[in-house]
Amino acid sequence: MAEAVVLKAEDICKSFGSLEVLKGITLEARNHDVISILGSSGSGKSTFLRCLNMLDPPTSGKVSVHGEEIVVKNGHPADMRQVERARQRLGMVFQQFNLWTHRTAIENVMEGPIHVLKQPKAEVKERAEALLVRVGLAERMNMYPSQLSGGQQQRVAIARALCMEPDAILFDEPTSALDPELVGEVLRVMQSLAAEGRTMIVVTHEMSFARDVSTEVVFMHKGKIAEQGPPKEMFGSPKTEVFQKFIADVR
Amino acid sequence: MDVFGVFAQFWPELLSGVGITIKLAGLGAIIAGFLAPLLALVRVNGGPAAQVPLRFYISFMRGTPLLAQMFLIYYGSGQFRPFLQDIGLWNFFREPFNCALLAFVMNSTAYQTEILRGGIMGVPHGEIEAGKAVGMSYVMSLRRVVYPHAYRIAWPALGNEIILLIKASALASVVTVFDLMGQTRAIFQKTFDFSVYIWAAVLYLCLTAAFVWIWRRFEHRLSPHIHGKRPSLLGAMTKRETA
Amino acid sequence: MLELFSFGEAGWGDQLLQGLLVTIQLALTALPVGLLLGFAAAGASLSPYRWLRAIGTGYTTIMRGLPELLTLFVVYNGLGLLLNSIVSSWNPDARVELSSFVAGVIALGLVFGAFAGEVLRGAFQSLNKGQMEAGKAVGMRPTQVFFRIMLPQVWRFALPGLGNLWINLLKDTALVSVIALDDLMRMTQVAVRSTKQPFTFFLAACLIYWALCVISEIVLARLEKRANRGVRRA
Repeated sequence: MAEAVVLKAEDICKSFGSLEVLKGITLEARNHDVISILGSSGSGKSTFLRCLNMLDPPTSGKVSVHGEEIVVKNGHPADMRQVERARQRLGMVFQQFNLWTHRTAIENVMEGPIHVLKQPKAEVKERAEALLVRVGLAERMNMYPSQLSGGQQQRVAIARALCMEPDAILFDEPTSALDPELVGEVLRVMQSLAAEGRTMIVVTHEMSFARDVSTEVVFMHKGKIAEQGPPKEMFGSPKTEVFQKFIADVR
Repeated sequence: MDVFGVFAQFWPELLSGVGITIKLAGLGAIIAGFLAPLLALVRVNGGPAAQVPLRFYISFMRGTPLLAQMFLIYYGSGQFRPFLQDIGLWNFFREPFNCALLAFVMNSTAYQTEILRGGIMGVPHGEIEAGKAVGMSYVMSLRRVVYPHAYRIAWPALGNEIILLIKASALASVVTVFDLMGQTRAIFQKTFDFSVYIWAAVLYLCLTAAFVWIWRRFEHRLSPHIHGKRPSLLGAMTKRETA
Repeated sequence: MLELFSFGEAGWGDQLLQGLLVTIQLALTALPVGLLLGFAAAGASLSPYRWLRAIGTGYTTIMRGLPELLTLFVVYNGLGLLLNSIVSSWNPDARVELSSFVAGVIALGLVFGAFAGEVLRGAFQSLNKGQMEAGKAVGMRPTQVFFRIMLPQVWRFALPGLGNLWINLLKDTALVSVIALDDLMRMTQVAVRSTKQPFTFFLAACLIYWALCVISEIVLARLEKRANRGVRRA
């Protein structure tokens, strides 16, 4: 039997002024899916990700989380409470980490569960500590973001997303802002998340991750999905010319 | 309230007040402007014997109300009247204008010194070395390298300081100087017509706007190669840095 | 000489102390008023509505260009006249007087607010947008984003500027003595009138203000250090 659909986007369009960035994207993420979204810069892949949790509400189209449609009217969510509920179930990891600089690593991780989900502090703390240990930051829990390397900050950001116990996590180019030698440590954490069956949607430039870790690859080009399928097929026999060229360029 | 009637009746007083305000703030800024570069040099290069009293002076000037400083000079001098008469200075201190001016000079010198100190410290060390390398004497390198550059750096902040001085000059009215504020208060006491305050506000804003315009002109002359931050009516009137 | 400043019948110690308390009270009352106005001005000048922006920048620009003393007189006399004309339209025989303390609080608050508005506007503008998005992304309400992420950081950016404004506020309280509030400055003048020792007493007043400022600077330095926890300094 097919897994339950966690996140569904139908015919998403997004314009900034007269600039059409997304021209009708449809995508479905089921439980345990790891979807990699590839595309050259300007293809609209990050914008699409930001449409999913309404950081950039779509101009038209439907986003539903667990079958509940987030109502958008005239480019604005109709019910912010509904959006907030949806965001609580969708973690997000940003390219620039976006850790809160005035809070320590563990405070960053605990902030959401305590103040948004209103969970008891002791319980959250235990979970946060375990998560930071898991991402390899046992020694650095009480440090501030400015005292951490980029790779460490991004791992804190992943722990922050996990601590909300989300149904799916959105990754927006999580390794693009990192020095090359720090990329590996973040990818390893993401790989272990995939291995334990987390639902993930990852906008990335890391071909190896897309090919070896994800269950599905989506290639976006000029605001549309140009090609889509299991990684083996996609990389083994790319169908479209644009994707062929894209793979060749990256290599 | 008779907005235009008040101006029609009292414009000679108001304009003479503007004149006194310009004289007070202008003289204050200029005299302080001569003292500050020397003291700033002491702040940067002076030995402890000169530094310590200077720092106390600056901290005192910046840590006490200008009104209190003015009272200290104007009323305080009365306590030493026989002495001041003996040395022939009493005629100076008897005049409220002189006392207010002295207070403004002493106060503004402290602020301008700190601003220029920042400017001097901002001159890249390499430029001074380059001056030495072409054989400049100490005084010459000050004149040709350090001060020109320091003033370019400090120019906007100095402009702010002078705007503050224009505003602060209104305090002179408290010791019966008939500057713009003094005239305004006198007219209000005669007429109880609130609109005189509106005219005072307009005139003060015109004064600062005119000053900003002049100051920018100078800045263009001073540094045609930089398009840095300039004092503007919007940005200029920041409060004094105290720390 | 010291007995001039002793307490009780002989000296002026208790009068000066009373004045000092009024000065501190005035500054501490004007501070929240000014901060509130400052936040309002910053909010207005950052708002998407043109008319609100015009009000915000108009207020901060004009108020910062006027002598504080003029603002004080405008409030004291102007607001007094306005109140009286309102009251007398209800009851022709009634008279109200704006107390010099209230006038001082309003005037100093207005001045503080105009400068604080600029400081806070700068602080809000230097906030990192990504951190606010991260707040939204965990499902925070806009008020939570404001209070839990923006405000603590605005505080850090704005603290040095606001600290300077506080010290200026302390010094500006002396102006209110001109409209006959019995603050430190005016109590000093009273002492001067009866002792004929103007230099001694004005110097003493200066030293007290100086002490207030130095203490404030020490406290502010501590606050800044606290607010800068976790921020790497260059």
